Parts: sequence; structure tokens; C-alpha cells
Amino acid sequence: MPKFLVLDPKDNVAVAVEPAKGGEVAELSTGGSLTLNADVPFAHKTALAALKAGDKVVKYGEVIGAAYRDIKPGDHVHVHNIRSLRNEVKK
Amino acid sequence: MSQPEIQGYLRPDGRYGIRNLVAVVATMDNAHPTARRIAQTVRGTVTICPGFGRAMMGEDAAQHFRTLTNMATNPNVFGAVVVGLDKKSSHDVAEAIAKTGRPVAAFPIEEVGGTVKATEQGARMAMQLCYDAARQRPVPMPWSEFVLGVECGGSDGSSGLVSNPATGAVADMVVDRGGTVIMSETVEMLGGEHLLAARASDPAVRDKLVKAVGFCVSYAAEHGIDLLGSNPTADNIEGGLSTIEEKALGAIKKGGTRPLMEVIDLGFRPTKKGYVIMDAPAPGVENISSLSAGGCQAIIFSTGKGNTSGHPISPTIKVSGNPFTVEAMRDNIDVDLSAVITRGMPLGEAAAKLEKELIDVIYGKPTSACLLGETEVAISRILRCL
Repeated sequence: MPKFLVLDPKDNVAVAVEPAKGGEVAELSTGGSLTLNADVPFAHKTALAALKAGDKVVKYGEVIGAAYRDIKPGDHVHVHNIRSLRNEVKK
Repeated sequence: MSQPEIQGYLRPDGRYGIRNLVAVVATMDNAHPTARRIAQTVRGTVTICPGFGRAMMGEDAAQHFRTLTNMATNPNVFGAVVVGLDKKSSHDVAEAIAKTGRPVAAFPIEEVGGTVKATEQGARMAMQLCYDAARQRPVPMPWSEFVLGVECGGSDGSSGLVSNPATGAVADMVVDRGGTVIMSETVEMLGGEHLLAARASDPAVRDKLVKAVGFCVSYAAEHGIDLLGSNPTADNIEGGLSTIEEKALGAIKKGGTRPLMEVIDLGFRPTKKGYVIMDAPAPGVENISSLSAGGCQAIIFSTGKGNTSGHPISPTIKVSGNPFTVEAMRDNIDVDLSAVITRGMPLGEAAAKLEKELIDVIYGKPTSACLLGETEVAISRILRCL
């Protein structure tokens, strides 16, 4: 089982410390486990909880951005579904 | 806790260098070929070729020549040969170096009669400086005179887990021994600046930090720039970093945990000891050049995906905790901390390994960047030339 670190109790994402494939069951450092919906490369993130578009993403116990589409537990969390809250670009 | 003894070369300005370098300094891009030719002729010398320099204006010119001069008078420099196209820039830079008590001579290409003569005369001077430098012996150096630069580049999701926290633990050791640590890369504090602000020693320091980080937000907005792709960079994104906040929260771990004593502008020297932030752009080469100008005798450069850059004056130690990178880029990484991830090595043990490397480098061990010549200099621009 690929290992994932939960860095802070407040976090809603966990970090892969080895490359993981969709369908595998991730072993969380907090003791639980989670089925992955997609591949999660080394040092990338997966969601621990369901996130609605606009929900804050928390890692290290701090806000790292917000979801811009709904995210399910076990999804790969990256630039395709979250973005910065500090860099607003006017289109 | 016991602290290791360190040594350095005492300079006329009272600072201590961990290297005893003869620098060949180009005041402008047009003198780079001559500076490089001199350094090729006289083995063991290093070049400072920062690009630009010609017809620069206002604060841009001031920043260029301040940073150049402060690199050339980094404690690791024994003496310097200065080459420039014109008399004024050559003599101005040489005079600023001479003020620190270092031996220096200027060879303006227009004045000495072309690049062949400038190469010949500069090389003779460089040889003499090498002979003179070799007569100097290192002496015990107080930790209070040591300035460590901390940098991260080619970051990924492992950087904030392993190499940055290990670097931060070494930074804390240096501060606790009375030394100074300079962290920079202001944009890579965006999203974590509240944690740094809380460590500020007084409100003025806090305000300067918050303003510097705020500038990054307003500058990007003003130019309609999406930081994604610039910071985080494409390789950061490939390595799992999704936003600038995520990158920053990992990046600031390299500065350790001690109080923030001062925020200084690009290329200036700290006036306080302890943990200091320099407001300078994040790209590796221009950032380590800024840190070297700030007086760092050594730099710890934390990387995830890998990075090759080192500074010619300030030995730059590459550390990574990414097990794939330490394998794939073995030649360019000095300290492998991947065991934190692969074998559960405690972070304290990782930090001790990194500290041992720092001490070895202080005593003369070459870094991979130094051995391979992966050293480069760049000075940030503020304005364009007209």
C-alpha cells in the first residue's frame, strides 16, 4: 500500500511519499486508509475529504488555495482542481 | 550543546572568509570575455561576470554596482582584478573594493589598449594576488562572524517535507551559535508571511516584511500575471506544488524558527545578527548572487526536482530529500537526505548530516557545483535601459 503523510490534524489533503496508482488503497500516516481515484505521483496530494468548489485546501495546517471544482476523497489534488487565493488574475 | 570550531581567513575589514579567493570582476557585459580569459590563464581564480552594467540608470544602476561590489568584497575574497570597458566603471568598482583594505587593480580596456593587453596585464596581477593569498593562513573564526545563506530551487512536494526543514534546523544551529542566516526569495513567502511576521523582532521589521510580500501580489496584479507557471515553475508543478501558497509554506521552513531580526534590501549587508530576510527575486542564480553580496560565506541550497546552480564566491551546498532526484542527479547533489522518506530517518539526524557537510565545506571541501564549474552570477534588474 502506498504511504501518504497527513502533515497536520487540520489538513484535508495528504502527501504521497511514493508514487501511487488509481485504484490502490493509500495507507495514511494517521492510521486510516483511502482508495485512490487517480494516479498520485510522488510528493503530490490526494484529498482526505470531499471539497466543494470554493472550499479552502489545507496542508501544513495552513491554507494553500481553494478548490475550483468539486473534489472527492481520493482524488488527485493539483492545478486541475485547486488554485491560489493570493494571485487574482483579471482576465 | 557543544559547537564545532571553525576557521577562516581574517580580512582587513574584520570579516572572516572560508575561502581565500582571487576574483576577476567584470564591471559590464562587454568585459566578460576579457575577465574569463584572465581566469582561464590563471588557474584557481574565479570570475564575477554578472551581465549588463552598461548605461544603466538610477536605482537600477545603484543596485547593479552595489551588488557587484558587495560580491567582490564578500569575506571569501582575498583580492580582485577589475576589468571594464571604460575607465570610470573600472576605477569606481576598484576603489570600492580597495576601501575594504583588499588588494585590487583595475584594467580598463579602453585605457590599457584593447583586450589582449588587458588580458596580459590582468593575468599578471591575478598571478601576484594568488601568490600573496597563498601566504595567508586560516585562523579560528567566531561563529558570530559566520553568515549562512539559505535558498531553495527546483522545489517539489518533498522540499517542504525534508530538505527545507533540515536546512531550517541547521539555520537555527547557526543563529544559536551567534551567527547570521539570510533567507530570501520574497515571493516564496506569499501565503506564509503571517508565520514570518509573527517572528518579527519589532513592528517596523514586521511591516517591512508584509510590505515586501504585498509588493509581489500587487506587481503581479498590475501586470495581469498569473504566478502559476512562473512561481510555482513548471518543474515545481510537475513535482506536486499546486499554488504559490503551498510552495511558500514549504519554502519558509528553510529559514528555521528563530526571531526575525531585520529585513534588508537586495545586495545589502545585514546590520543585525540572527535570522534576517533579504527582499530579492526568487530565481536561483540571481538569488544566490544577492545572498553572496549580503556577505554569506556559504549557502545551503535545498532542492526537490534538482538544481545545478552554485555561486563562484559563496560555496553552495545542494541538499535534496527526493529519492528519485538524488539518484537521477547524483552528480549535482551534495547531501542526500532521501532516507527521511525511504527509511524514516528522523529529521534531527538529517539536519546533523547536513550540518556536518556545512562544517566540511567551511574547512575547504568543494561542493559539486564548485568542482563541476556550475557557478554563475546574475544581478536582478529594476529598470530597463533606454
